Amino acid sequence: MSGRYDVIVVGAGHNGLTAACYLAKRGLKTLVLERSDWIGGAAVSRELYEGWTYSNCSYVCSLLRPEVVRDLDLPRHGLQVIPYESGATFTRDGGYFAYYSDHDALRREISRFSRRDADNYERYARAVMRQCRFIKPLLLRAAPDPVSNRPRDIAELLFLGKRFHDLGDREMGETIRFWTMSIGEFLDEYFETDVIKAHFAGSGIIGTGLGVYSPGTAYVLLHHYMGEVDGTIGAWGFTRGGMGGVTQAMARALIEAGGEIRAGAGVAQILSKDGKTKGVVLDNGDVLEASTVISNMDVKRTFLNHVEAKDLPDDFVKAVKRFKIRGSSAKLNIALDGFPSFPAAPAGAPFLKGDLHASESLDELERAYDDWKAGRWSSDPYFDMLIPTCIDPTMAPPGKHMMTVFVQYAPYELASGESWDGPARDRMAETVIAKIAEHSPDFRDLILHKEVRTPWDIEREVGLTEGNIFQGELTFDQMFFNRPVPGYADYRTPIKGLYLCGSSSHPGGGVMAAPGANAAREVLRDLGMKVSGLTPAERAA
Amino acid sequence: MTAHTLEKLLPQGTTAPRPMVQRGLAPSPFDARLRPLNLHQDWMPWAGYLSARRFDSVEAEYFAIRNQATLFDISPMHKYRVTGPDAERVMNRLMTRDVRKLKPGRVGYSLWCDEDGYVIDDGTLFRFGDDDFRLCCQEPQYAWLLDIAWGFDVQVHEESDEIAGLSLQGPTSFAVLEAAGLGQLATLKPFDVVKVDDDLTVSRTGFTGDLGYELWVPAEKALALWDRIWAAGHDFGLRPIGYAALDLARTEAGFVVCGVDFKSIHTALRPSRGRTPFELGADRLVDFSKGPFNGRRALLKHAKDGPRYQLVGLEIEGNKAPHSAYVYHRKKTEAGHITSTLWSPTCKRNIALAMLKAPYGVDVTGDLWVEIYHDKEGKWERIMAPAWIAERPFFRHTRRAATPPARF
Amino acid sequence: MTRYDAIVIGAGHNGLTAAGVLARGGRRVLVLEKNAGLGGAAAGYEIAPGFQAPRYAHLLHAWHPQIEKQLDLAANGLSFARRDLPTLALAEDGAHVVIEGGAARLLSGAAHPDAAAYATLHRRLVRFAGVLSAKLLETPPQFHRPDWRDLASLAKLGFDVRRLGAADAREFLRVLLSNARDVILDEIGDGPLAGALALDAVMGGHTGPRSPGTALTLLYRLAQGGGRHLPKGGMAAFCTALAQSAQSHGAEIRRSAGVAAVTVENDRVTGVLLDSGETLGAPVVLSSLDTRTTLALTGVEHFDAEAVRRVRHIRCKGATAKINLALSGLPAFTGVDPDDLTGRILVAPSVQSLETGFDAVKYGELPAHPALEVLIPSRLDPTLVDGGGHVMSIIVQYVPYHLKDGWTAGARERLAATVLDLLERHAPGLRSLIVAQDVLTPLDIERETGAPGGHWHHGELAVDQMLTLRPVNGMARYALPVGGLYLCGAAAHPGGDIIGAAGHNAARQAMKAPQTKTEGHAA
Repeated sequence: MSGRYDVIVVGAGHNGLTAACYLAKRGLKTLVLERSDWIGGAAVSRELYEGWTYSNCSYVCSLLRPEVVRDLDLPRHGLQVIPYESGATFTRDGGYFAYYSDHDALRREISRFSRRDADNYERYARAVMRQCRFIKPLLLRAAPDPVSNRPRDIAELLFLGKRFHDLGDREMGETIRFWTMSIGEFLDEYFETDVIKAHFAGSGIIGTGLGVYSPGTAYVLLHHYMGEVDGTIGAWGFTRGGMGGVTQAMARALIEAGGEIRAGAGVAQILSKDGKTKGVVLDNGDVLEASTVISNMDVKRTFLNHVEAKDLPDDFVKAVKRFKIRGSSAKLNIALDGFPSFPAAPAGAPFLKGDLHASESLDELERAYDDWKAGRWSSDPYFDMLIPTCIDPTMAPPGKHMMTVFVQYAPYELASGESWDGPARDRMAETVIAKIAEHSPDFRDLILHKEVRTPWDIEREVGLTEGNIFQGELTFDQMFFNRPVPGYADYRTPIKGLYLCGSSSHPGGGVMAAPGANAAREVLRDLGMKVSGLTPAERAA
Repeated sequence: MTAHTLEKLLPQGTTAPRPMVQRGLAPSPFDARLRPLNLHQDWMPWAGYLSARRFDSVEAEYFAIRNQATLFDISPMHKYRVTGPDAERVMNRLMTRDVRKLKPGRVGYSLWCDEDGYVIDDGTLFRFGDDDFRLCCQEPQYAWLLDIAWGFDVQVHEESDEIAGLSLQGPTSFAVLEAAGLGQLATLKPFDVVKVDDDLTVSRTGFTGDLGYELWVPAEKALALWDRIWAAGHDFGLRPIGYAALDLARTEAGFVVCGVDFKSIHTALRPSRGRTPFELGADRLVDFSKGPFNGRRALLKHAKDGPRYQLVGLEIEGNKAPHSAYVYHRKKTEAGHITSTLWSPTCKRNIALAMLKAPYGVDVTGDLWVEIYHDKEGKWERIMAPAWIAERPFFRHTRRAATPPARF
Repeated sequence: MTRYDAIVIGAGHNGLTAAGVLARGGRRVLVLEKNAGLGGAAAGYEIAPGFQAPRYAHLLHAWHPQIEKQLDLAANGLSFARRDLPTLALAEDGAHVVIEGGAARLLSGAAHPDAAAYATLHRRLVRFAGVLSAKLLETPPQFHRPDWRDLASLAKLGFDVRRLGAADAREFLRVLLSNARDVILDEIGDGPLAGALALDAVMGGHTGPRSPGTALTLLYRLAQGGGRHLPKGGMAAFCTALAQSAQSHGAEIRRSAGVAAVTVENDRVTGVLLDSGETLGAPVVLSSLDTRTTLALTGVEHFDAEAVRRVRHIRCKGATAKINLALSGLPAFTGVDPDDLTGRILVAPSVQSLETGFDAVKYGELPAHPALEVLIPSRLDPTLVDGGGHVMSIIVQYVPYHLKDGWTAGARERLAATVLDLLERHAPGLRSLIVAQDVLTPLDIERETGAPGGHWHHGELAVDQMLTLRPVNGMARYALPVGGLYLCGAAAHPGGDIIGAAGHNAARQAMKAPQTKTEGHAA
């Protein structure tokens, strides 16, 4: 294969596809290259067991930018996100705490544990919502460089400064507190009930190499709440057909816009000469030319595996090596012969259709983190378990079910020195299954097939370094203008024409498509093309 | 798939699955009596409970308030009992008015503010004894009361679900009570409260600006109370009313509703939505001389700086109530908006409560207009009607405060 | 009733500093101390007849030179047995590390493999700390409607950051909210050298080196270059000099005079009521006590419920204990020359061990290997001991305030045994030298000094409780909402350690307000 393109995108993850769509729609000859035989990166639906579709990496949707959904007309290309309404944490004494989106029911539920917590929940929800409102408009904006004198950066800093200042004295302080506190301590200020705090705290540690009492995890919670489904902030939903529905819709949009996708075409090297991008070399030796190459891979993979070190400044390479990408999560994807019974759940409980957990205190969650720090998988892990087939009939035969279990924590390297590619994988899976079975005794018997994904597996299959789902920790030393490398937080790299569009870039990970959209905008800027004209309103004008 | 019985599935020593909480709206203690009377099954949510919007016709229910007697279920109100040696100090810390001036056996209307001087809620404070208070209000306040009470020697108990309340309002409401064997309440003055017996407490309070009483009973005694009053009211035109009718009456009386005429600062996402007592026209409810209370310092500053907004009473030309309408100055500058409004059948005036942005309603009070949209069978008409600031309450009648009260 | 211009509650080092500054500002000041002795957390005591020991803090660390000058401490009796003490970081394998003047070497004399990297890192961190250290002596700026002083302060900060140069400025902004472990281990390998630096970040706090925010506390400790100094005569002499300095300008100090309440009228302080029942008048009261106690003394009703709630939520779980020993002779450390025992001696073998120690404390457990900062002040200052003995002062990092099952006598024994076992690994036979022993758990420290949770910062030095958020959102400029009432202790910006900045800044703030002088001195 050979050829000349205006833009080559390396990696058909959702960010790469997004960037490609925006650029193809502007008439640029765009090619997306994907090493695997399937596209989607970590937003995929795979039939790993006959008759079942697994969202085997990412499993729920919330953060996908509505602006991107609208600009790329994704619903017309098949995207449908169905919100789920409830969830619960099971407790060892046979009880549970449920979250209901029905506000009155939720109030009554919290009151079962504490009346004070029921009142304080309002305050808590309002505090988080205020943060969501503050941060949302910032997601589709490139981060400014605080050290530069360029008008664009200064204007952006002033914009952000004003936005911050307009919060008023009290709220400015509260915002700084929220962004620097741990989710555990934040929750301790509102609630006295352990299981309620544990239920909410999970969102603060998903995919993260931090514990619930680590400062900065309140931000991680915000990161998981700042999404929406149809305007309901904080709502999460299932993509019909699995998370692959997102990337399949993007792929169709790309093809319609005149773009190309090639699967089974891994890139070995990104070529440059005299600091300018030239194109790529494929694994099979083919050379494809392009003056713009956008990498959807994480920053370490891109620069340490696919770009020659001699083409990069030393301090840049050092900074890339220093960027923290730590695997901390595992996943089980399970085909079930029927719906497992949860004896703690009353008949007709709606929460079985939502997110289920079994960690009942912050200390338990913190200990799970301690295990990870010591190089072990958590002996008492946190899990985020869902059975999307309750709502999405496309993923398994009728009466059968697909269960997705996201597990925190599992280290990339085991202190014991064992490889994940062996008995350790099954032992870790057994830890999780045993914990689920504590709350669902017939669960084991229903397992027809399971796929166990350790950080090692995720790295090998998806290309995410250490299996970190965010392509880099979401801590302040590597967020915003520090992401991925200070001075290079605007999707550009030391090589002219080479860009990053994945979650290693601002605003970070989750299936957001914001990095992809932002990167595309910067590419257009550099090509001297008009940046606006991407929204339907602008197109209609 | 193996079958398991419930008992085998549960770990030893645990009980059956915890029942699921009520989803949706809960029935009030009076539900068994209200449901059959609600001809349209027209309900609305109030504090998680089903509250009737109307039973029969809003017009008929409204006229019953001003002509005969009505029953309105106020059980969904939040009620908190504060007792203990520091109860007065705590309530005085909470409220902007001087609670020391509220004697046992009396009820006081007040509002309370956050540290920035913005109103959290308004409500009625019942003083049963030196150290015994009940706070009755719209918004949940349990956690807030605990915060206010921290460091003081009091007990705070949430009575919301334990106490049912019935509001009996209208010119024949005393006659109804008398027929129910409660004639001794003739001596009750407005804002008095008295314990009739262990199961019944009666206050001469209400939300209609008319003669009326509120009856408080333990929730399990609600139906018995209803039956007693209902039987007694037969000859006096007693009818159940829903919130739609009550809303008309209370607007005539100039009363504000938290959540409608202003937003509780505790539920507002945007801090700028907060309103001070001054902005709500409640200046006389703020007593700076009584010593420290929550928000006092901020309120001193607000008093000095002047209001940013002003809630005013308006009278508008014409007879179409300007729901959700904009208020303009000189027909072109936005001055505010209408929060509550009705064509008052009793006053025969088109009246409203409006929230205006300073200087309108403060220094600039003339040349006001209201923009009304009329749907004339699918054809929309826009009218700019002149409006002028009017004194509240709009409805006044001597029967409201007459003691002993008249029989009609 | 006796009237003063200002009353200071607590004669700890911050209270005495505040008094010294106020007195020099022409104010008539009274300092009230509940205990018979002065000094608060900087106090010294006689652990055994003829043995003077520092009860809690044992070194002056980042004591601000500007304050030292302002208070003429040298003229008031402060001299130093040694400035800029070296650090001896003990290694489990005997490859001990000496750190002096920003340079590291092996005790044996050989070069440390990470010497160059360490020197570069240290230099850079000190430079970064320098950017922030100007803020130590300033009232935190107000972001909302800042006045010209706040704007100038913010502008200067921005300017100082930019003056680092683009590369260092970026690094500064990257590192600022990072964690000590990454900042350190990105440059050097884990071991006693890394452990020593990480200990600086976490000592006195309820935090571990992996916790984000510990880069900032590390910079805090490196202000003024991070030097540690031993006053001649020990910490007790330092406190005496501070007291002298205030008294030489007319300040009065009363001991055994506990305050029962701060009196308030019309939302302004009018003075204090002592435990004895005596009332004293002053339009200004500065409290070096923690925030919660200050609010309680004043009367919670004078504060809005939200402010009280914020104060209630101040995190102040102490995680540091103290063990003081009187020894009949100098302990022999294996492989260490007695001459090398003149600095601080650390048992913090790695960043990893610190994190493990913190992990235990999180759950109220005592770690198997707490970190230790050991000082033998009598080695540098023989005047502390009559005869040939020594005192050993041990700060034990990672001891929980709430110990599971409580601080029973047995638990205290276990703490002492854990620490002595650790030390005897390096100094066998230490136990046989012990003449007297004092074990102070965080609970004891709370009881004796009033520090809530026994936390020596009176409130965790976490980013959300620092600077404009210290002690809480809305009270960060020393003045409390009640007129004339100020916080002047570790609870306020910049925090604890023996810096004196809080006392100094609060006093300055108090003098800015109008009406801080009484008209005449009516009795």
